[in-house]
Amino acid sequence: MKAVIRGIGVVGGFGTGISTLEKILMDHGPFIESFAVPDGQPLGGEPYAPVDTRNLKERFSPRSLRRMDHLSRTALLAAALALEDAADPGGNADTGVAVASGYGAVRTTFAFLDTILEAGDAGASPTLFSNSVLNAPAAHISMHLGARGPNLTVSRFEMSFSDALSIAVQWLEEGRAPSVLVGGVDEWCPVLGHCHHRFSKTRDAAAFLSPFCTGLERARIAEGAVFFLLSPEMEPASGYGVVESVESGRLPRDTPTFPKDAVILTGIDSHRDSARPRLPGDHRVVDYTGYYGTLPVGMGFDMAIASVIVRRGRLFSVPDSTGGETVVDGFQTEKAPKIRRACCLNITPSGAYGLITLASRPDFSENSRPQGLMKS
Amino acid sequence: MKAPAPVAVTGMGCICAAGKDFPTCVQTLFSKDPDPKPPSRFTARHPETHPVFEIEASILTHLHSREDLSITAALGVAAARQALEDAGWDPEALSRVRTGVCMGTTVGSTMNDEAFYRTYRSGTLPDLFPVRRFLSSNPAEAVARTFDLSGPCLTLSNACCSGADAIGTAMSWIRGGICDVAIAGGADELSRVTYNGFIALMITDTRPCRPFDRDRNGLNLGEGAAVMILEPETSRRVRKRAPRAFVLGYGSAADGYHLTAPDPDGAGLRRAAGHTLSADGKTLSRIAFVAAHGTGTKDNDAVEARVLDALLPGIPFFSTKGHTGHTLGAAGAIQAVLAAACLNRGTIPGSAGFFTPDPQLPAHPTRHPQKIRGDLALSESLGFGGANAVLLLKRGGDSS
Amino acid sequence: MDIKTKLKTIIVEELNFEDLTPAEILNDVPLFGDGLGLDSLDAVELVVQIQKHFGVKIKNMEEGRTAFQSVNALAAFIAERLPE
Repeated sequence: MKAVIRGIGVVGGFGTGISTLEKILMDHGPFIESFAVPDGQPLGGEPYAPVDTRNLKERFSPRSLRRMDHLSRTALLAAALALEDAADPGGNADTGVAVASGYGAVRTTFAFLDTILEAGDAGASPTLFSNSVLNAPAAHISMHLGARGPNLTVSRFEMSFSDALSIAVQWLEEGRAPSVLVGGVDEWCPVLGHCHHRFSKTRDAAAFLSPFCTGLERARIAEGAVFFLLSPEMEPASGYGVVESVESGRLPRDTPTFPKDAVILTGIDSHRDSARPRLPGDHRVVDYTGYYGTLPVGMGFDMAIASVIVRRGRLFSVPDSTGGETVVDGFQTEKAPKIRRACCLNITPSGAYGLITLASRPDFSENSRPQGLMKS
Repeated sequence: MKAPAPVAVTGMGCICAAGKDFPTCVQTLFSKDPDPKPPSRFTARHPETHPVFEIEASILTHLHSREDLSITAALGVAAARQALEDAGWDPEALSRVRTGVCMGTTVGSTMNDEAFYRTYRSGTLPDLFPVRRFLSSNPAEAVARTFDLSGPCLTLSNACCSGADAIGTAMSWIRGGICDVAIAGGADELSRVTYNGFIALMITDTRPCRPFDRDRNGLNLGEGAAVMILEPETSRRVRKRAPRAFVLGYGSAADGYHLTAPDPDGAGLRRAAGHTLSADGKTLSRIAFVAAHGTGTKDNDAVEARVLDALLPGIPFFSTKGHTGHTLGAAGAIQAVLAAACLNRGTIPGSAGFFTPDPQLPAHPTRHPQKIRGDLALSESLGFGGANAVLLLKRGGDSS
Repeated sequence: MDIKTKLKTIIVEELNFEDLTPAEILNDVPLFGDGLGLDSLDAVELVVQIQKHFGVKIKNMEEGRTAFQSVNALAAFIAERLPE
């Protein structure tokens, strides 16, 4: 069975909402550039593109948000946006929640250690401890959006997103949930910025903090969240397209299967040294990482962009400076064949890969996405 | 609804304070009195000592031989090795089939090395070794790497349900034909950070824990790992291996209630259990016992007793936490393998730490070992964030 | 700063009441349930904060239940036990 992508919510360094991301695709940019200079980094650290979750307060009372940390707020905002985008703001009580996070609540984890280092073992904050557990974002989503179906969080660094998606599709296939909110979230913190700085200086990143960059002079470290509302494929429905398959495996033993007509989106700006030569030569390969930045769950943002591509049936050009292939405008003339399939590929330096294939549905037109509920 | 094909458990492995391998852990469950002690690998300053269930130092030294692997990952690998041996899978044969790995953890997916962070905070360049070790110690990846596997690979981190969720997810993989064999379970090491966190939450007992007891006053943390090898029943028959057990069902549901407290009505737990049992209307009458989460905290045990009384009145239940401690991400897996052992023995242990029935609770656990009737068991897990997971297990033997 | 004012500041800042000022918390309003709406996680956080700011230990939640009735009750509890 295929899963229909009914709604998308994105929060990133580029802004908030899938319509914002779509506009960036149409306008060929900008790349995320507004780096925040981190405070208190005497040991050196990389700047990053921060996310702004303030408009969460338009949706939920400040009282209900008071104990929620930055990571959970980012995830909740993206999940709420996905429901709104699907014109399903009420959600369904049996909706499942599958969350991916490469590193989890790193800010809160270190803030918790701060309380121990500052006030001793007996001064450890129980509130920070509770929010530092990896499934805190999934818990907050179920509480605030009333999604009380199956609920899981997965964490395997940059493989996390495709892992979570595979669970979501499995739940739909088994009938465990009528719909699933599936997504990924990661945040920046000074320690992470510092580690990146150290690893990139020693050119060690590919081996350890991938997908942190080795190939670029300057990383675009980002934070953010991306969520999808998925339903089983059945009529009537509307949305972006369908998830045809989610694969994982390890090179060289396994071989990713790319449909003939698919374009391939890669998040490989970060370690293209290792991944690029392994890509099939006869497929069009594009890289949109510059628009959302480098973060473990970046593959989720690729899936958001791929969803827009299959709904509109066209590619979007990427300026050359990402190192990705430039897609010339001629490719998108009216005579150009519609793009029906897009693959999101993620290969780690060790050869583990995740591959998501999306396909258009002929009855989902460019304008089939419900409009009017978006808040930007 | 037609019951899905049974998923066979062909091997099991377990390491925790109760023993260095699965048979020892089972023996402890039926013979030894619990004996948690103050933590030995770290010190923490609190007005009172909170005992823990640590794995014996000599056992840990033996299995944690590689510096670049965390104790959590090493525990997972060791339990997987035991289980594969029990299932008769040698590495060479395993490499010819598609083998998935699904591991639950909490500590294993958090980068919180205190020494590293203390150095960083003091303005001195910290050695990056702890970061590298963390990045090479993802529990599922560590197992897949050790045995050179290429199937699906998932590390679940769903608080104290993680181990049960991992087995349930792997059951779905086998049913769905996603892999030929699945290595599924959970692993977690005792850490100073979680120790301080649980003490801050005021849910750790200063005495050995007393699940479901009137005077229960919190949990004792533990550590360990357990793994089940899952295969389609058809392959088990072809390989002519005796079934250790069967995984017949799995349910997961969120309370959507509170970050740390369970829904007092146990709504999520009821839904998770309901989903597990819905596969077959005749299931209820075959349930011999319930392996309860039973941590020894006031709230958890109250919710469980209420739900068990409502859903399965009169069915005996017990907690294994009095013998293993609360092993967090491993707990659901350790409980599942111990429940499978009980099904096969035909007896269940007394619930360690239970002495005085709580008049506030409608149901009480076993006080002494007892014979069971029925070939099925439920294993329940509850966790932070309102997580609930329930597994339905069947005795080894025929697969009907 | 007197104990009550300090307590209210702790409640607002450490329990993250962005929508409330310390002055808005009344001395006799119940801290839990229908009053301020604190819950079990706030209770254990308050235990840590009171230990940290006043050096007063709340040993368990039975003791906490009495102490956490209101700002008045909590201030009295602390005043009786303040270390010299």
